[in-house]
Amino acid sequence: MDLEFPAAAAVNEPEQQKFALPVDSEHKSTVFRLYSIAKPHMRAFHLSWISFFSCFVSSFAAPPLLPIIRDNLNLTATDIGNAGVASVSGAVFARVAMGTACDLVGPRLASASLILLTAPFVYFTSIINSATSYLLVRFFTGFSLATFVSTQFWMSSMFSAPVVGSANGFAGGWGNLGGGATQLIMPLVFSLIRDIGAAQFTAWRIAFFVPAMFQMLTAFSILIFGQDMPDGNFHRLKKSGDKPKDEFSRVLYHGVTNYRGWILALTYGYCFGVELTIDNIIAEYFYDRFNLKLHTAGIIAGSFGLANIFSRPGGGYISDVISKSFGMRGRLWALWLCQTLAGVFCIILGLVGSLSVSVVVMLIFSVFVQAACGMTFGIVPFVSRRSLGVISGMTGGGGNVGAVVTQLIFFKGSRFSKERGITLMGLMIILCTLPLCLIYFPQWGGMFCGPSSKKVTEEDYYMAEWDSKEKEKGSHHASLKFADNSRSERGRKQNATTEPTEEITPPHV
Amino acid sequence: MVAHRLVVASLLIFCLAGSCNGEVQFSSLKRTLDVTASPKPGQVLEGGVDKITVTWALNKSLPAGTDSAYKTIKVKLCYAPISQKDRAWRKTEDKLSRDKTCQHKLVSKPYDASNKTVQRFEWLIERDVPKATYFVRAYAYDSNDVELAYGQTTDPNKTTNLFQIDAISGRHASLDICSVCFSVFSVVSLFFFFFLEKRKAKAYSSKN
Repeated sequence: MDLEFPAAAAVNEPEQQKFALPVDSEHKSTVFRLYSIAKPHMRAFHLSWISFFSCFVSSFAAPPLLPIIRDNLNLTATDIGNAGVASVSGAVFARVAMGTACDLVGPRLASASLILLTAPFVYFTSIINSATSYLLVRFFTGFSLATFVSTQFWMSSMFSAPVVGSANGFAGGWGNLGGGATQLIMPLVFSLIRDIGAAQFTAWRIAFFVPAMFQMLTAFSILIFGQDMPDGNFHRLKKSGDKPKDEFSRVLYHGVTNYRGWILALTYGYCFGVELTIDNIIAEYFYDRFNLKLHTAGIIAGSFGLANIFSRPGGGYISDVISKSFGMRGRLWALWLCQTLAGVFCIILGLVGSLSVSVVVMLIFSVFVQAACGMTFGIVPFVSRRSLGVISGMTGGGGNVGAVVTQLIFFKGSRFSKERGITLMGLMIILCTLPLCLIYFPQWGGMFCGPSSKKVTEEDYYMAEWDSKEKEKGSHHASLKFADNSRSERGRKQNATTEPTEEITPPHV
Repeated sequence: MVAHRLVVASLLIFCLAGSCNGEVQFSSLKRTLDVTASPKPGQVLEGGVDKITVTWALNKSLPAGTDSAYKTIKVKLCYAPISQKDRAWRKTEDKLSRDKTCQHKLVSKPYDASNKTVQRFEWLIERDVPKATYFVRAYAYDSNDVELAYGQTTDPNKTTNLFQIDAISGRHASLDICSVCFSVFSVVSLFFFFFLEKRKAKAYSSKN
């Protein structure tokens, strides 16, 4: 996992002493050391994945306890289905809003605020008494899934281009783990409390205090130990002039008008959205089709989410490795291939009739679909520098839209059997991955075309987001540094023939 | 030769008996037991508080020897159709191993065919019984725990003589208070941190 960016050592020698890890000209770490908690880079990594993990645990804490909750609240299958859709739909807009918030106030305050504002809804889950209140708490708790965006933004701010895919992949994957871990944690906590002597209908309520408090504590940790950027927090950087205050409308405009953000939102809807859908329906699928005990079905369901521990980070890492040789074009091809294979295995999953083959196919499918999620966020950091948050938010939000749409089309009511729904979902994955062919970076190329013959540089691409007035003010310098550091996305062949970066030294403010 | 045939025959019988266990269908059971329950039709009972008295006996009009194989009686609380609607986890299936109509056992008592008196049992409604509409059914089992017959308090369409149970909510005042307090603490602590941040930033800018 120790990847060095060769040119970095030449620049910034005096400042390198401040950091425990080697950094580039933006002070982003050029290595990703999993076992370190060095300030500020690796510390930010651990804070972000743990807090995101806690949000996943809270958002999916109800499904494993549904057999008890549905009897306590007298829920019908329709109530449960609606709450499932509600739990993932809240985050659609929350993720886009979170992206903008990160651009404006920084990931530390944005994520901690969201986590502390959604924790009350997890506490309130203990006192609900009807189908409506159940739907409402799941809807508002689901907003916390927007911390995904702040996680990716934070990693993209702390880690340099050669390792950003890995950093994003590990943070996203280990956070998503919460969706699998909760299927094992909540029933355990519940039975512990029930065995102490509480009635069933009280024990599940008390059990919800566990994810709620965990969530609250992670938010406090972020506020006390975290830091927005390698050089400090947004607030202080803004006051000292190191981070110029940006305008909300311009940030939003440059994010929303970048077509690549929309394509990635669609394709992410068919890897992450599919993952969320499976989290909601797979336990029931195995329970009904193969007559398993609820406990067994829950373990299988949990294992789908637990694969995230290596599959999503693996995707990010593979994206980084491929980009060393083939640059951005390699990242795009890898994503397309991985996600299309996920679609193929999804189709097969709906068609197999034996339990053991089904479990094996599901695990293979989980690895491919989660790796595709990791690879998507190996590409997102490069789409925009100024509006990184908005693009991350759009992509993340697109993931949730995919979950909502897929559940509504294939898994609501009894139009399709679950197995038919799964096969059709696989087909939809393949179709919705095709638009990746349309993504084109003039400086690096796309899946089918090489870089523009007009010799567009990284600076040209990222400077296009700033107009001349803003450039006069000097607001664009961070983007310039990033452009310089992103030259590695040309791939080995191109990097060898272009001039080394020492020639183009970013102007010091 | 005879011994060989005996072995095959007994093997066959054991196999059939074994497979019978999972294959018993409700439609094949005879309704031979008279079962009554104390709740009046439409009555609402409270979980954890109220009691249900059930009685069961062989129907008097049946010939003697009908119940010779009955060894155990299990009395269960069963969901009425209205409480099964849109709830696949309470679905009625003919195959008894897959049937989920009767999920709460009141009592399991051994059955003595020679004892002609009506058996009765008083059951305190447990706190984990959900709020729903119910009736009572008793199954008669043989020595291999295979269902042989049944009796129930309602008609074959499960429309008459149903009663309701109101479950405990599981909520407690202390839980409510804790929940609200922690939520308020969560929000207040956020604003407290904002306040600290502002103070730090002011101190930093006044220093420079």
